[in-house]
Amino acid sequence: MYAKFGLTDDERSARLGMRHVTIRRPESVPGLWAGLRLLADSWDLFRTLTAHRIRVRYKQSALGLFWAVLQPVALMLIFTLVFGRIARVPSEGIPYSLFAYSGLLVWSFLATALGNATHALVAHAQLITKVYFPREVLPLSYVAAALFDLCAAVVVLGALLAYHDIGLTWSALYGVPVVLLLATLVTGSAFLLSAIQVRFRDVGLAVPLILYLWMFSTPIAYPLSAVPEAYRPWFLLNPMTGIVESFRRAVVHGIPPELHMLAIPAIVSAILLPVAYAFFKRIETTMADVI
Amino acid sequence: MDSVDVRCERVSKRYRMPPRREARRGGVLGRAADALWQTSEDFWALRDVSFEVARGETLGIVGRNGAGKSTLLKLLGGITVPTEGQLTIVGRLSALIEVGSGFHPELTGRENVFLSGAILGMRRRDISARLDSIADFSGVGAFLDTPVKYYSSGMYVRLGFAIAAHLEPDVLLVDEVLAVGDSEFQARCLQRIQELKRRGTTMVVVSHDLGAVEQLSDRAILIDAGTLAATGSPQDVISRYQRLVNGAGALSHEDDDVRTRPPAPIRIETLTLHAQDGAPVLTAVAERPLIARILLVADSPVAASVTLSFYEFEAGTLLAECTGTIQPAGSASARLQMDFVLPELLLAPGVYTLGATVTPAGAGRPVAWRFGRTTLYVQGSAVSRGVFVQPFQCHTAVLPPALAVSLS
Repeated sequence: MYAKFGLTDDERSARLGMRHVTIRRPESVPGLWAGLRLLADSWDLFRTLTAHRIRVRYKQSALGLFWAVLQPVALMLIFTLVFGRIARVPSEGIPYSLFAYSGLLVWSFLATALGNATHALVAHAQLITKVYFPREVLPLSYVAAALFDLCAAVVVLGALLAYHDIGLTWSALYGVPVVLLLATLVTGSAFLLSAIQVRFRDVGLAVPLILYLWMFSTPIAYPLSAVPEAYRPWFLLNPMTGIVESFRRAVVHGIPPELHMLAIPAIVSAILLPVAYAFFKRIETTMADVI
Repeated sequence: MDSVDVRCERVSKRYRMPPRREARRGGVLGRAADALWQTSEDFWALRDVSFEVARGETLGIVGRNGAGKSTLLKLLGGITVPTEGQLTIVGRLSALIEVGSGFHPELTGRENVFLSGAILGMRRRDISARLDSIADFSGVGAFLDTPVKYYSSGMYVRLGFAIAAHLEPDVLLVDEVLAVGDSEFQARCLQRIQELKRRGTTMVVVSHDLGAVEQLSDRAILIDAGTLAATGSPQDVISRYQRLVNGAGALSHEDDDVRTRPPAPIRIETLTLHAQDGAPVLTAVAERPLIARILLVADSPVAASVTLSFYEFEAGTLLAECTGTIQPAGSASARLQMDFVLPELLLAPGVYTLGATVTPAGAGRPVAWRFGRTTLYVQGSAVSRGVFVQPFQCHTAVLPPALAVSLS
């Protein structure tokens, strides 16, 4: 009956071999390597959680996957009407709808990922106080699910390019490293925001407002070339400026991105991710007491 | 490598309590300041607790509500870190807890098994391999592909527990084993735990169910007000706990224990409870059959009467007695098993204590006795007060309207 609990190979070897020794000391923050090893061990959990996030979102919804692309598409339509037709914002010689969508696509990934990941830990308070697993898997799974939505939204971008008869060039492949750079930036931010949210729920309330302001200070609805020369260095300090401009340049214009445009996002990501991860692991030790 | 799997060295855990109302600062800035530099009050949930659990050993932890048992489990499980001291755990650790709270209502039972299994640290292919067994164990079989939001609360909890029951850790934490499901499901969980124990899994068992602690543990500790109040055999620790709970009164028999009056030709070894089919149980059901089994060791053939007594748990009042006799049989020493078969348990749902005494024929006083060591938990369908179940039938009839005529 239910007594058939066979050992798997893994467990058998674990039983024969050495047992891992865990030591828990006050404020013992596991070393970065130990943390990463544990995270690697949780690959299955990460995969399962991400798949379920995606599945849950579209369960019992008639439009299903369409919702993944609705946000950038709807914003593209309203932007085209307001900025393209009414305000007549320049769009670097490409159709405004395509111009706006290529920026909104990238932006929606960041907005969805951060908007959800901020609540990742608090939403799972029940689990966090009951069982241990590397907590970073929670925000990570939201980032991964948003990345899935991005892939779905890319299909619409392809359709728009075809509609406007703009051919893809090999340079479009530069879009992939740009998105990966963005994913790094988003992951770092997600660690930071979700960890602070555990202690200060103000973060969750502030994030939508910040995202709103951030979107309009990023050249999504307008090109960086339309920004007055004097303000441009300030705009370049925003890591999203380089990412959006480079993505658009590679995919829509078919020109390789300029490296200096990616320097700021690269530096910010390279510093943010390890710092945010270390901070996250530091908060993790007593997370269950405060959450 | 030494053979200690769990070592807890001078562990303390402090929680910061929110400041009392009068100590809080007012205004927006004051509130922000409070949040940032919390002028908190300390609460030590555990203080200087040390113990070890050897490989393959089962340690029972008993204590009153709020004594620090759950905090200790959280520290062992890695959910939070100690404020002082150090915990060392050798091997893979898992907690046998009900994970239904991790279920997503929209997902099917099957999908949730994979999700919860992954949260508990199982690999996908291990879960696949055990899916049938998990479904069997939980008894939700036919509903495995139904979203769990349509499950009854019982199914929900049983499925959650079944997943955890399929873990194969080196060290297992068991929290309130028998708080889940009906008595049949509880018996299944118990069987599973005993199976893991037989295989040499090191265990830490926390429960209010003293019967479970006594039956499962090799050793026990008593936690009271955050400190280690007693350590020793489960029997000793449980009786210390009962004395603690009962204060000065109740069960404060001097012989609150297994005693033998030397030289005793016969001793009581164990007193256990069983279902009709002989399977051990920790919880009985009112108005259902129950077997109380007493194992005796006799050094020489002896005729004696054996009495099984039922006591109220708190007051220690004697409620009932059953007496059986044993005849001298065989040669020298023998082990005897006496089954007191109760065709229908007449005790009302509640907590009771069982005792047993052995009085050799001709002797005026018992030579061996056992009190306060076996706790009997009785469950029942109906909420009833009192100590016993009075069988009854109820007949109702509609009477003709009373004549409104005064006879005077």
